[in-house]
Amino acid sequence: MRPASKSLFAAFAMLATAPGAATAADVKGAAPTDPALIEKIRKSNAECYVCHTEAGLKNPPRADMNLAELAKFLHDPKQFDGSNHTGMECKVCHGQGYVAFPHAPEAKKSISECGECHATKALRVETQFKDSVHAKNLADRFTCQTCHDPHVYKVAAKVGDPRKIVAQDNAMCVDCHNSDLRYGAISAALPTKKVRPDLYATHDWLPNPRLHWSAVRCIECHTPMSPVKSLATSHEILAKDKAEKACVTCHSQDSVLATRLYRFAATNVGSDLGFANASVLGSAYVVGATRHPLIDRAVIGLFGLTVLGLLGHGAVRIVMAFFRRRRAS
Amino acid sequence: MSHRIYLLPPWLRIWHWTNATLMIVLAVTGASLHFADPGLHLVPFSLAAKIHDIAGVALLVAYGFFVLANIVTGNWWQYVPKPPGVLARCWKQIVFYGWGIFWGAPHPYPPTEEANFNALQAIVYWVIMYVVVPVVILTGVVFLFPDLAPAKIFGLDGLLPVAMLHYLAGAAVILFMLAHIYLGTTGVRPTSLFKMMITGWHEE
Ligand code: HEC
Ligand code: HEC
Ligand code: HEC
Ligand code: HEC
Ligand code: HEC
Ligand code: HEC
Ligand code: HEC
Ligand code: HEM
Repeated sequence: MRPASKSLFAAFAMLATAPGAATAADVKGAAPTDPALIEKIRKSNAECYVCHTEAGLKNPPRADMNLAELAKFLHDPKQFDGSNHTGMECKVCHGQGYVAFPHAPEAKKSISECGECHATKALRVETQFKDSVHAKNLADRFTCQTCHDPHVYKVAAKVGDPRKIVAQDNAMCVDCHNSDLRYGAISAALPTKKVRPDLYATHDWLPNPRLHWSAVRCIECHTPMSPVKSLATSHEILAKDKAEKACVTCHSQDSVLATRLYRFAATNVGSDLGFANASVLGSAYVVGATRHPLIDRAVIGLFGLTVLGLLGHGAVRIVMAFFRRRRAS
Repeated sequence: MSHRIYLLPPWLRIWHWTNATLMIVLAVTGASLHFADPGLHLVPFSLAAKIHDIAGVALLVAYGFFVLANIVTGNWWQYVPKPPGVLARCWKQIVFYGWGIFWGAPHPYPPTEEANFNALQAIVYWVIMYVVVPVVILTGVVFLFPDLAPAKIFGLDGLLPVAMLHYLAGAAVILFMLAHIYLGTTGVRPTSLFKMMITGWHEE
């Protein structure tokens, strides 16, 4: 390949793989910008919300519904509007089977898989997930929806606020790892029975795990850096003996926090003031990481000068005392 | 050389050495936390955090004891520089350390039972013990319970000013300690002031 076309190819590849580079229209069912279409979708979704919301449950539009069943499937339109899939029509994923009530018995089978619309990403994620601890014994029990609720989930790059990213992403793991019900249900498929390990007990080497889990994600310690640029995080959850235990991975000037959780964080005055890992300083003070190189140099300098000054003073005292003694004798 | 006065009651000596030990432990572990780096041979972060937390709480208790005992025994009065002429006496003391001491001049204000400290000592000790150390302890307590810190300040995490104060005030205490230990060698013999801090007796 000639250099010119090579770089052109590179530019093209970057466009295609950079996060967020794909324009909305590239993905099937993308939210339209045309107001008439937006209104059409809003109306279409409102038809589902007539039943599938708290309000729908209180005022059921028909008498022949199993309300106890409906109560399990309630959705919050506000949450959906804050998700990746905001602006999409329910029917794009759910198909025609749910339009009428009672829903078609086979409707569930035709709900679209993530990969139908996100082919490249899903393929990459699946490759990583195959090596994950969850795939070892439970590959067929774990689907993308086990962790990602397509009506709620918002990708970290678009959430922005690191505390919110942490809350969302940790909930994916904790909702199962802290729930005897969910963990028990999925681990029933294991070859040998497994008791759910208590998360606080298994992390008791970490001071104040609760504080840490409000400030960092499980995946910070449990996954390697993403090997592909187009994915911010790896889906390969490592075996526990490969999990990160070294405090200085985060608590040092070369903290991984800046390149992982905080890669999307907004810039703030911290960087103008000259702090290391300033992006982190926007929402957490991390001992050892968010420090000021100039102030540190000043403190070390002052310490050195004091020691030198005192040693010098002592040396002069010793020499002078020596001469005094010589003169006296 | 046989003139001796009994200056320091046991509680003060016990507190002093407890305090000194804790401060050195806190300084070493604090530096290991702040300058944490995989390439430096400091106290491992996890161990440093554990020790620092325990020693920090111990220092808080020791400080509480110090303040109470000072009130009960009236020893706090020693830390108050007595006018008139405080500045002039400080200056004389500085000139002594900067000049007279090299020529074998006598201490301008040797301790007496009524006035244990010279004016310069009184001022510096007062500032360290009643301003800087309380700042270190209070910010340390907030560090232990980060929820006490404000959530945000000027768009940055609210723990930042607390941590900065803790770090800088801690550094000030360490610098003071260096000078303090060195000045401990300026008695009649280099060891006599250290002996006094153990036995309570001052030699002249
Ligand atoms: C019917 C098609 C369709 C299906 C099925 C689908 N999505 Fe999407 N997804 C979209 C559209 C359209 C967008 C918005 C356009 C965009 O940002 O790429 C989107 C956006 C996203 C984004 C944000 C992409 C970014 O970089 O901003 C993520 C992450 C995502 N979807 C994950 C999933 C997951 C996980 C599933 C399966 C549970 C899923 N999607 C199923 C169509 C779909
Ligand atoms: C008239 C009320 C009503 C409307 C309108 C309605 N649903 Fe439902 N839906 C229900 C009830 C009730 C259930 C509980 C299960 C049952 O009784 O079939 C349910 C169940 C579901 C389920 C779960 C099925 C399962 O077994 O897992 C899905 C998915 C669903 N609805 C999607 C939709 C979608 C998408 C729309 C809009 C296109 C919609 N529904 C409109 C009443 C309604
Ligand atoms: C991006 C694709 C996608 C879109 C858009 C979507 N859904 Fe779903 N929905 C799914 C998938 C996938 C499942 C199955 C989840 C599972 O298996 O746990 C599901 C399940 C459901 C369920 C039953 C399970 C539950 O927990 O409630 C209901 C009800 C539902 N959807 C309603 C809606 C409504 C209402 C809308 C529109 C506002 C909508 N969905 C839009 C993909 C989508
Ligand atoms: C064990 C839980 C889990 C499973 C299973 C899972 N994911 Fe994820 N996924 C996560 C977490 C945690 C993140 C990080 C959150 C983020 O970046 O928004 C993530 C992030 C993503 C992202 C955004 C990556 C980026 O560009 O930053 C996509 C896309 C995604 N997942 C798709 C999938 C697909 C497709 C599947 C199914 C093949 C899947 N996930 C299965 C937990 C999971
Ligand atoms: C739906 C339940 C569920 C979810 C969600 C889930 N896990 Fe798990 N996880 C399990 C089960 C069950 C096992 C035990 C698997 C086995 O022993 O084969 C497990 C095992 C693990 C292990 C231990 C591996 C070992 O070596 O013993 C780690 C670490 C782990 N999960 C981390 C996570 C993280 C991080 C997330 C979120 C991104 C997550 N899990 C999400 C159910 C879940
Ligand atoms: C600071 C790094 C770190 C964070 C953050 C972290 N973990 Fe861990 N985790 C580890 C390490 C290291 C181990 C291995 C502990 C051991 O073997 O002593 C572990 C062990 C585990 C295990 C295996 C327990 C067992 O005994 O089988 C699970 C499950 C787990 N973590 C889940 C999580 C979840 C869920 C979160 C988020 C709430 C999380 N971890 C956050 C480092 C971390
Ligand atoms: C994955 C990154 C990560 C790892 C690994 C990690 N920490 Fe942290 N740690 C953080 C973050 C982020 C905070 C800030 C929490 C906050 O302010 O909300 C924190 C806070 C702390 C604090 C609290 C300081 C305070 O505010 O009082 C201590 C103590 C601490 N970590 C000790 C440790 C020790 C010891 C280890 C190793 C055993 C460790 N951490 C490993 C990210 C990490
Ligand atoms: C001479 C006294 C002390 C010195 C020199 C000192 C020094 C330090 C330093 C340098 C740090 C790292 C801060 C950073 O990187 O921003 C630190 C952290 C910390 N200090 Fe101190 N400190 C002292 C006393 C105390 C006391 C009295 C307490 C408690 C009451 C305390 C509690 C803490 C806590 C909780 C942390 C956070 C890390 C951890 O939890 O271990 N410190 N200290």
